[in-house]
Amino acid sequence: MKINKLEVLSKDEIETIHAASIKLLEKVGIKVDAPDCRQLLKDNGAEVDEHSNFVKFPEILVKEQLKHVPDSFKLYGRDGSFSFEVNTHSTQFGTIGTPVRIYDPSNKRGYRKVVLDDNIKQIRIVDSTENIMASHIDVWPSDVKYLTVHTECIYVWAKNTRKPYGGGCYGRVASKDMIDMMSLLVGGEEELTKRPRMIGFMNPTSPLHLPILMTNGLEVFAKYKQPTIVAPEALAGTSAPVTMAGLLAQTNAEILAGIVVAQLYNPGAPVFFGTVSHSTDMRSGNSAIGSVETGLMTAGIAQLARFYNIPSRGLGAVTDSKCFDIQNGLERYQTLMLAALAGINYITCAGTYEATLAEALELVLIDDEIVGMINRAFNGIDVNEDTIGLDVIEKVATETKPGATFLSEKHTRNYMKKELYMPTLMNRNRRTTWRKKGEKDIIMSASEKVEQILKYFTEFEIPPDMDKEIKAFMKMVGERTYDYFREAEGMSADSVTLPDGIEIREDK
Amino acid sequence: MSLQEKMKEAIIEWDEDGLKEMCKSAIENKEASAAELLSYIGDIMRFIGEQFENEEIFLPDLIGSADTVKSIIDEILDPAIRAAGEEKKTKGKVVLGTVESDVHSIGKDLVGSFLFSNGFEVFNLGVDVPAAKFIEKAEEVGAQIIAMSSLLTMSMDFQRKLISELEKRGIRDNFKVIVGGSPTSDEWADEIGADGWADDAIEAVSLVNKILNS
Repeated sequence: MKINKLEVLSKDEIETIHAASIKLLEKVGIKVDAPDCRQLLKDNGAEVDEHSNFVKFPEILVKEQLKHVPDSFKLYGRDGSFSFEVNTHSTQFGTIGTPVRIYDPSNKRGYRKVVLDDNIKQIRIVDSTENIMASHIDVWPSDVKYLTVHTECIYVWAKNTRKPYGGGCYGRVASKDMIDMMSLLVGGEEELTKRPRMIGFMNPTSPLHLPILMTNGLEVFAKYKQPTIVAPEALAGTSAPVTMAGLLAQTNAEILAGIVVAQLYNPGAPVFFGTVSHSTDMRSGNSAIGSVETGLMTAGIAQLARFYNIPSRGLGAVTDSKCFDIQNGLERYQTLMLAALAGINYITCAGTYEATLAEALELVLIDDEIVGMINRAFNGIDVNEDTIGLDVIEKVATETKPGATFLSEKHTRNYMKKELYMPTLMNRNRRTTWRKKGEKDIIMSASEKVEQILKYFTEFEIPPDMDKEIKAFMKMVGERTYDYFREAEGMSADSVTLPDGIEIREDK
Repeated sequence: MSLQEKMKEAIIEWDEDGLKEMCKSAIENKEASAAELLSYIGDIMRFIGEQFENEEIFLPDLIGSADTVKSIIDEILDPAIRAAGEEKKTKGKVVLGTVESDVHSIGKDLVGSFLFSNGFEVFNLGVDVPAAKFIEKAEEVGAQIIAMSSLLTMSMDFQRKLISELEKRGIRDNFKVIVGGSPTSDEWADEIGADGWADDAIEAVSLVNKILNS
């Protein structure tokens, strides 16, 4: 049989959490910054407090809108040759994280700031992996003007991978730019809408707040049916109750609110029921993304997503470690395995460490291998007459010639690749061989593999006419000012909050 | 497809009957002599060994191919070479076994298969082999190397016993003695006065090559 799913909530407990979230949505509501979004909700039966901007979602509104949510969708790479399905029963793996640092052993600190060249390398490494299905604007380049990061990154995507891409729903301007540029690259809006290439990230701010940039961006992604992850990052003890049940109820309310808005923008818009919620470290106030509670919380969200029949997204391969130590390995495996066991349908953050602020290409490959192992575990134990192999046991056990082992049996040859996962980075050599081959630890082996992959990678072509059009588009985006951006998003100047560690530069 | 190509396919596919037929008819039709067939097999096994080292194939692929050719060599080629009065060309002869009181065979058999695949003639005595039996066989076939394995810490001392036995008989210098097995180590080999130690089957091949080339 296949491995059983991990459950952390009973049926009754799921109902209880659901009821609590509905109560939050109905009685307290969600703070919605965007006036047009509030209006849309009001038009659909929500009660809006124009003074506090809180919107109360009646249960019927939530119930009706959830009916439109698809339970599966496909994602495609640029030319459509690579695709994968997201649904409510399988598990896929991806990157994500927006790290601002990248591992660099030649730097005395062991890392340096990310530059655009790292985006190219990172996306090529992801492209080469067997089990990591998509890239996103993962590493955040410091040498690119802030307002053009999205277009520069999509250009990198187009030339360097066959896999789908993703980016934040960070306002309507950037979101529409991404849609427009992707459309140019894939042969039009209709093609992009029919066969989505792009995963959006929409993060409510906890507690109970949908910021203007996020709903603006969500509107664009929903309109063009690019699957969007609605994922709050509520922290137990700081931006949510310290209790896992409270964290779950609040996170669930925030996700439901985001999904309702997406469906109002475009009924049937594909979404992920997502979470980045985890705990707070009570000694420092820092977020503790590699904590065991991350896994517990993720498992709870997986169950709630199944309850609503919506594909889920959760964290895996995340760690708070700043180096390649045992903490790094155990936290990334713990979060990945718990998410997979819980049945999360899209698990993200491969390749990251330092709470997703740092990236290592080596870790992308290591995570790919961990996923290979997890996939093997998921295939379970196949029991039938032939797999039991009584004949072969008898044959080898009773063989009188010296040298009889199962190794030279056809049974072994037929089944070895299916039964045994064969890692390439986990070292199983005896000490002498290991020593002879340079006493390499897993990071050293992964570094060599990274080097090999990059050495033989060849770029994908963009036809010259298309390239000209794309470049002109990118130039137009590059000429925009912050004032244009703020005005287009309907923001007041001080309301932009950027992911931790990202420096905004206004190039004049 | 040439004879060599057909043989290669049969060896890779573990087609013992097919390979046997090919060799028999090649000798009968004078398409190739037994000694030539043996050298073709040597080339093919070297190719498979390289694939294994480059991690293109896995252990069962290698061992199964080695087993396939082993019976053909024992049953067809060796007798034909002897009948023709020719000398069989090998890189060296190794007498191999697990020491007295120990019945673990897999690691030792892997060493045997690897040595065989690399062109050595291997006399695998099996498990629980007393010192006298190693010595008798080595003298009988004119082996250069005696290779002993122990998996158990408790059986290791029998490796020392064989070396003392060789010394007692005054023939210690006639053979190079190498040892291996989980609890053994290079320090252990030094302590008992062995000529070499290998950590695994791949290392055993380099060790034997090194000893015979020095």
